[in-house]
Amino acid sequence: MKLAAGLCVAVVGASLAASPDRPAVSVNPGDIEKPPVTSWPTFNGDYTGQRFSSLTQISPGNLNQLAVQWVYRITDVGAQRGAPVPIVKCTPLLASGVLYFTIPDHVWALDPRTGKQLWRYDWVDHGGHLIGQRGVAIWNSTLFFLTPDNWLIALDANTGKELWKKNYADARKQYFSTAAPLVVRNHVIVGVGGDAMDMPGFLDSFDPETGDLQWTWWSTPRKGDPALKTWPNEAASEHGGGMTWMPGTYDPGLNLLYWPTGNTNPVFAGQGRPGANLWAESIVALDADTGKLKWYFQVSPHDTHDFDNTTAPILFDRAVEEKPRKLVAQAARNGFFITLDRVTGKHLVVRPYVPLDYSSGLSAEGEPIPIPDKDPSVGGSINIVNASNWPAPAYSPKSGLFYVNAVEGKAIYYLTDNSDKPSGYGGTGAGIGHAVRVLKAIDPLTGNIVWEHAYPNLSEPSTTTGPSILTTASNLVISGDDQKDLVIFAADSGKILWHHELNANESGGIITYQLDGKQYIVFGAGDSLYALSLAP
Amino acid sequence: MRYGAWAALLIGSLAHLGVIAATQQPQASTQEGVQPQGNANRSAAERAAATRTFLGLGATPDRAAAARGAPLFARICGFCHGQTARGATGPSLITSDRVLEDDHGEHLSVFLRKGSPDKGMPAFAAMEDKQLTDIAEFLHLQVEEVANRGTYQVLNIVVGNAAKGKIYVETRCMSCHNEKDFAHLASRVRSPEQLQRYWVWPARDGKITADVKTPDGTISGRLEGISDFRVTVVDAAGATRTIDRKPGIDVQIHDSLAAHQKLVKTLANGDMHDVTAYLETLK
Repeated sequence: MKLAAGLCVAVVGASLAASPDRPAVSVNPGDIEKPPVTSWPTFNGDYTGQRFSSLTQISPGNLNQLAVQWVYRITDVGAQRGAPVPIVKCTPLLASGVLYFTIPDHVWALDPRTGKQLWRYDWVDHGGHLIGQRGVAIWNSTLFFLTPDNWLIALDANTGKELWKKNYADARKQYFSTAAPLVVRNHVIVGVGGDAMDMPGFLDSFDPETGDLQWTWWSTPRKGDPALKTWPNEAASEHGGGMTWMPGTYDPGLNLLYWPTGNTNPVFAGQGRPGANLWAESIVALDADTGKLKWYFQVSPHDTHDFDNTTAPILFDRAVEEKPRKLVAQAARNGFFITLDRVTGKHLVVRPYVPLDYSSGLSAEGEPIPIPDKDPSVGGSINIVNASNWPAPAYSPKSGLFYVNAVEGKAIYYLTDNSDKPSGYGGTGAGIGHAVRVLKAIDPLTGNIVWEHAYPNLSEPSTTTGPSILTTASNLVISGDDQKDLVIFAADSGKILWHHELNANESGGIITYQLDGKQYIVFGAGDSLYALSLAP
Repeated sequence: MRYGAWAALLIGSLAHLGVIAATQQPQASTQEGVQPQGNANRSAAERAAATRTFLGLGATPDRAAAARGAPLFARICGFCHGQTARGATGPSLITSDRVLEDDHGEHLSVFLRKGSPDKGMPAFAAMEDKQLTDIAEFLHLQVEEVANRGTYQVLNIVVGNAAKGKIYVETRCMSCHNEKDFAHLASRVRSPEQLQRYWVWPARDGKITADVKTPDGTISGRLEGISDFRVTVVDAAGATRTIDRKPGIDVQIHDSLAAHQKLVKTLANGDMHDVTAYLETLK
């Protein structure tokens, strides 16, 4: 942090976003409810999390004309704690013809036609973990950005000027922030990370104008809550983790947020917390105005493998037995594919989408029951690595398929703290054998794998920069391998249609939008942001 | 996440330089889970320091002061807060606000002098400043050993039954291996943990070969890399050849570790422990 701060002088407003030929940036929160066409105004493009675009200009027939239009490379930030070069792990936003992207401590506004910088905002952090930054959110003309040391920063979306800031968690307790906030009506929903210290997760809602706190939802129950019976005692619950570090999704009709909650604490050592440990590693449905819990589905009861349940819960509507249903699906990090009724939280599908053998079956509620012998142990215990992670999955209403880049692999998990009061992680895990990244197209109504593509690779897939996915109405699934190739697949069959070698692996979310009548595909790869469109 | 720090360093350099690292992948890293493959080639102290930086942990505890503080804590505080400060009749101090807002005793000393009598926490007004800061450093070291995963060490992982392990090896391994392969195996590695890792999944480098059939003939050699679009082999003469995987190019891969890959997928924990216990006797 100090190094980064020393290298980059805070430069604000190299030029303004708004100029005579550029309209002022403004996004009405109601617009985020519509499928994105000429903008990408929120982390997932819209509230569904589908990352599906109705645009068809770029199509299987003209991919041979698809070409890089510009590349913006970060050259003047320098090393960040733990990374010698910055890595773009955000999903960019496009709002009113301005493109925003982030890395930890820095926000850029670019001209999307040229890739030229309009302004940059720099933050000097005082602690926190710089492992990633997922992007900004926008409410009218205010941009929201979260810092590693847990400040919510409100910026003027036109100039990058700081309007106000608010600290919502203590970095000394190992809370840190990497999330993109989620703007819903007059709420800025802010999640937090940090599992080194057995702290409780929470979700905050702030007033986008004033920064006043509207509500807080805690990821673990407090005194008087019946869910406390899933913990041995109140102290364990109050230190039980369940971070909220990935943006959730939202159904405006039901006014419910669908938030994925992170791993339980202590992480690998579960002997001090017998019980299911609610509401860690769940999908929770919260009232967007009050933060009150409507229902939950715990994907990994009593987890001991850091199955941090933070992969996006995707919302979609489908007929089931000829009745229209509102559904939510997730390819969970614990290897199970889950489809729930998003009104009630009742399960339709709970099925492994990678080979796994740590579960003895499902509970009456449909929750996987772990086998204790697969828990981390002093002598070592083999189990799967995370089957998915934060990189975005996608769903196409056109193909009816759910797409996820899965990892099939194993690790030996050791318990390093076998005391009756473990704390922190209390164990380690190390991959063993060859792991393979496999793109899977899953029928969300059955959990059947309709097609899959194993990316050939001698090296092990990294989950720190796994490729995200975008799908389009022209039958494209856009993703990448771990060998610097951007790859486009046919959404219905999995056939590779096109590829292009980049300077680094695709490392953030892929977005698309139409600008001046032209469809663009934009994403981060390593220290650069790429923009592609059809060559004239 | 013992290797998180370099994990990120490595990923960064990978992305930048386009180097492919086969073995030095990260392990569990905050937010990003246990990663495929790991390799410990840093000293314990280096690993701890790198992880401390990566996680953005606060001030480094003074170990000498903490060692002086340990008996003081045990005598004065341990009865209520437990010998390692994780709580007994009193609360755990590992996640205490008062401990975490302190760097080197500057706040904790003031508090300890006054105590919190209404909550049953006595005042330690008569103690010397140095004793109080030593206790503070002891607490910070307890926090360090929890929060800094770079300090974690496996326990004694040799928990299996060596006699059963011997039977497993004799009945399951000898169709590919001979006794020589196992001779003095335990003395060839640094620790039982490495031994366990090594026998389950030996280093794979150079053990995979490929035949690449092209219209101009077959190129065979050690497989250096493969994707959907390219294949790289080093032939017998040492020449590196990269071939685009266009239609008409056929790649046959021969993996001498295929049996171990199968083992990884099916090995029961008890068998793994027994074999490790047996091989550990082969010094």
